Amino acid sequence: MADHLGEFEQIVLLALVRLGSDGYGISVRDAIAERTGREADFGTVYTTLTRLEQKGYVSSRLGEATPERGGRRKKYFIITASGRAALVAALRALRAMTRGLGQQLELR
Amino acid sequence: MSARHGRPPKLAERLLGWLLPRDLREPYLGDLAESFTARMAEKGARNAWLWYWRETMNAPVEITITRTRDGVGDAPSGDAFMTSFLLDARIALRSFLRRPGFTAVVVLTTAIGVGAATTIFSAANPILFSPLPYPHAERIVMVKQVDNGSAGDRLGYSTIMDLAARARSLEVVAEAGSWQGTMTGQGAPALMTGLRVSQRFFSVLGARPALGRDFLPEDDKQGAPRTVILSDAVWRSRFAADTSIIGKTATINDYPYLVIGVMPADFEGAVEPRAQLWRPLQYDVSLGQACRSCQHIKAIARVREGTSESTAAHEVDIIMRQLRDEHVSDYPHKVGGDIIALGDDITRGVRPAMLAVLGAVVLVLLIACVNVTNLLLGRVAERRAEISVRAALGASSARIVRQLLVESSLLASAGGALGVGIAYAGVRMLVRLAPESLPRVQAMQMSVPVLVLALVVTMMVGLGFGLLPALDAARGNVNDGMQSASRRTVGVSRRARSVLVIAEMALAVLVLAGSGLLLRSMHRLLDVRPGFEPSGLLSLQVQVVGQRFQNDTVTWRYFDDVLAAVRAIPGVREAALTSQLPLSSDYDEYGVHSERHPAAMPADDPSVHRYAVSVGYLEAMRIPVVQGRSLTEHDNGQSPPVALVSESFAKKFFKGENAIGQRVRTGAHDRGPWRTIVGITGDVHQVSLAGEVNDAVYLPESQWQNADGMMSLVIRTTGEPGALAGAVRKAVWSIDRNQPIMRVSSMSEIVASSAAERRFVLALFEAFAFMGIVLAALGMYGVLAASVTERVREIGLREALGATPWQIVSMIVRQGMVLATYGAVVGVILSVLGSRALAGQLFGVSCADPTTYAGAIALLMTVALVACAVPAVRAARVDPLESLRAD
Repeated sequence: MADHLGEFEQIVLLALVRLGSDGYGISVRDAIAERTGREADFGTVYTTLTRLEQKGYVSSRLGEATPERGGRRKKYFIITASGRAALVAALRALRAMTRGLGQQLELR
Repeated sequence: MSARHGRPPKLAERLLGWLLPRDLREPYLGDLAESFTARMAEKGARNAWLWYWRETMNAPVEITITRTRDGVGDAPSGDAFMTSFLLDARIALRSFLRRPGFTAVVVLTTAIGVGAATTIFSAANPILFSPLPYPHAERIVMVKQVDNGSAGDRLGYSTIMDLAARARSLEVVAEAGSWQGTMTGQGAPALMTGLRVSQRFFSVLGARPALGRDFLPEDDKQGAPRTVILSDAVWRSRFAADTSIIGKTATINDYPYLVIGVMPADFEGAVEPRAQLWRPLQYDVSLGQACRSCQHIKAIARVREGTSESTAAHEVDIIMRQLRDEHVSDYPHKVGGDIIALGDDITRGVRPAMLAVLGAVVLVLLIACVNVTNLLLGRVAERRAEISVRAALGASSARIVRQLLVESSLLASAGGALGVGIAYAGVRMLVRLAPESLPRVQAMQMSVPVLVLALVVTMMVGLGFGLLPALDAARGNVNDGMQSASRRTVGVSRRARSVLVIAEMALAVLVLAGSGLLLRSMHRLLDVRPGFEPSGLLSLQVQVVGQRFQNDTVTWRYFDDVLAAVRAIPGVREAALTSQLPLSSDYDEYGVHSERHPAAMPADDPSVHRYAVSVGYLEAMRIPVVQGRSLTEHDNGQSPPVALVSESFAKKFFKGENAIGQRVRTGAHDRGPWRTIVGITGDVHQVSLAGEVNDAVYLPESQWQNADGMMSLVIRTTGEPGALAGAVRKAVWSIDRNQPIMRVSSMSEIVASSAAERRFVLALFEAFAFMGIVLAALGMYGVLAASVTERVREIGLREALGATPWQIVSMIVRQGMVLATYGAVVGVILSVLGSRALAGQLFGVSCADPTTYAGAIALLMTVALVACAVPAVRAARVDPLESLRAD
């Protein structure tokens, strides 16, 4: 099931939605850390982003270079339409599965 | 640290850049650099630096694993195999970093084993294996004369000439005689060992001077100008490596010598390793010393190509018998000849000791291997779960085996690299500490074959260690592995590890018992009474150099003056002179012939050590006169010749008759004065403490046929002997500033260094025994600690069911001690069988000395007990509730 999204893939896609046009390695990583407390290393982040790009769920472009980056350009990622569709499908499935279980799972 | 400059670590950056796929390289490194800067501002340089390295270690694995599996993107660099090898290597590195303690112990253990083994193999290589560095070295032989069954190194000059003329199997024969030269003129006078050699000496060896020329036939003629070839060391130290030295003059023994050549730096003077100077033999056959029974010249030869050594030996033997028939009074009746390959001849003495040391170091290497195997097996338990998970996720078993092999090879390589470093330092240390008698020391170095050997051993260790757990894991059923990991029962590997502990203990007993035997031998040896009293005695050697000393009277007067000056020093109680000093490697024997019972064959008369001494020598040395009288001032050049002989010699030689009053000749049987024996002395060990006492004859120096040019002063002091060395030097030089002084040493030191070779072997064994004990203790501790971890549930259950901590401790200790006992038993059996290899090094101790074994076992059992106690105590602290919840 190639179009099935893994958990971390969903989190990365959600971060990209949040970041709009400002999503690149550091901002994705920071957004995840800020909201989930999960300190992913760049290896994991880039692995996931690369895989998502292969699946056509995100697209990328090279951005500007800054001195603190050693003159290296950023790589911006944005979520594609099919990425958005896959994410929505995954979240729907999740929501369908969690509906009514709030009390049992002590979600709140 | 690059962090100080606010920049990411360069090495990490470069590594990453190389590992990352091209399209990710720029943004990835950019992100890291940006985060690095932010992190540094926030948490400091150190934190940022560590973080960057952690990212480096983690990142590429994730990315490249994904990429390889997905078959996407360009491979980092190199081909597919290399890529996946690097992958494995990186996975391994990460797993090592997670367990630094385990990694360090494995690497260090391997390093110690490989390092020690490489050191000893490097040292043993020239002695046991590699040929002398001459072309066709196997054809170079030492010619021996066998008198009454004992082969001697030295022959009479005429004997050698006849052999050279008759032996068709010997291509070239050359002679070498002892020579000592004192070089003056450039710096302080220095006494050097040299050789007087016949013209073709270097051609027999196949060596040529690096500078200048070899000797020519006319150099070896009597009356030819004095010429000399220098060693590379002398050329550098005395002549500042002057390339225009050829044709210049060196002053040796007060004579000008024309320097005609300099030997290469790597020339190994196997016949006399210490030789620094070579001059032509220029043998004067008209001299008295040219007799056939005057055996004082060594002969080396090159066996003709195509002729076997045994054929040549047989021919030499036959010629020796012919010579005896032609010159009946010059050879013992039972004379023969033999040849021995030069390389064998010079190393023969130390071969048994070297083999024993080699054996010991192999044991250490084995212990190290067993230990590492144990450690790696100990990890199987935890690895099983991990491996099973990986197998469940689809990794092929070949893939897993390869991963484990890469891990163990990496550990082995790190250990091997460190071991090579240890060996490099070890060989240098060994060469520095080696006793002078050790042959071929200059050839001892980290040699390429040894290095290759070390690497092969390392790789085998790595592959072997890796294979066990890898096969174990790959063979196992996935489900089984996951379950067994969670149940923490690893019966098979625990049994294997028990066997390994037993092996380790046995090997440790073996090394320890060996070194115990050597230690006791050394004690016994130093308990041997040398026949004189070494403590409180200072000794030094004085030599006369210069043309005026051609006159014996001048020499005698010089030594008298020296003695008088030394006796005048405050703090000197007694002082005397002797031509040879016991246990100093001085060796000077003469035949003794009885007037009353002349031997049918004078050459069959015994040879004894001759001591030409001043009055007061026996007294200063505390050598007792057991019968008759000592020497007095009245025994001088004008009075009737007298002598004292040693007790054991008197008994043997005069067979029940009273020796006192008998007359003997020393040296030639048909010439020289008859000397009346006036006293019998106590026996003295001249050659070695371990050997028999040596037969001796003492006579007044002034009554010998000529003056000895080299004498030893023995000085009994009131205080510490060494404290007077300076004053004695000054006193000697107050008579003549140009006479060299050598071998300044307390007599106790000389006695101690006479056992230097044994001490050296003992020191090596002690070092190996120590390594063995430490490694065995580590191994035992490791196994028991692992077993405690595996049995946490069981232990907790026992406690919950009412077992006291003491019962837990004794259970674990018992388990370990049973293994140790098995090991000790096996070890003792092996030791009794193996210690025979040490027999030649033992003295006054039997191979099966019970005290030694008891001591070794007691020590190892104590060590084992400690190794068991630590995990046992930990087991007793196990909280029953915690342990039951553990899974």
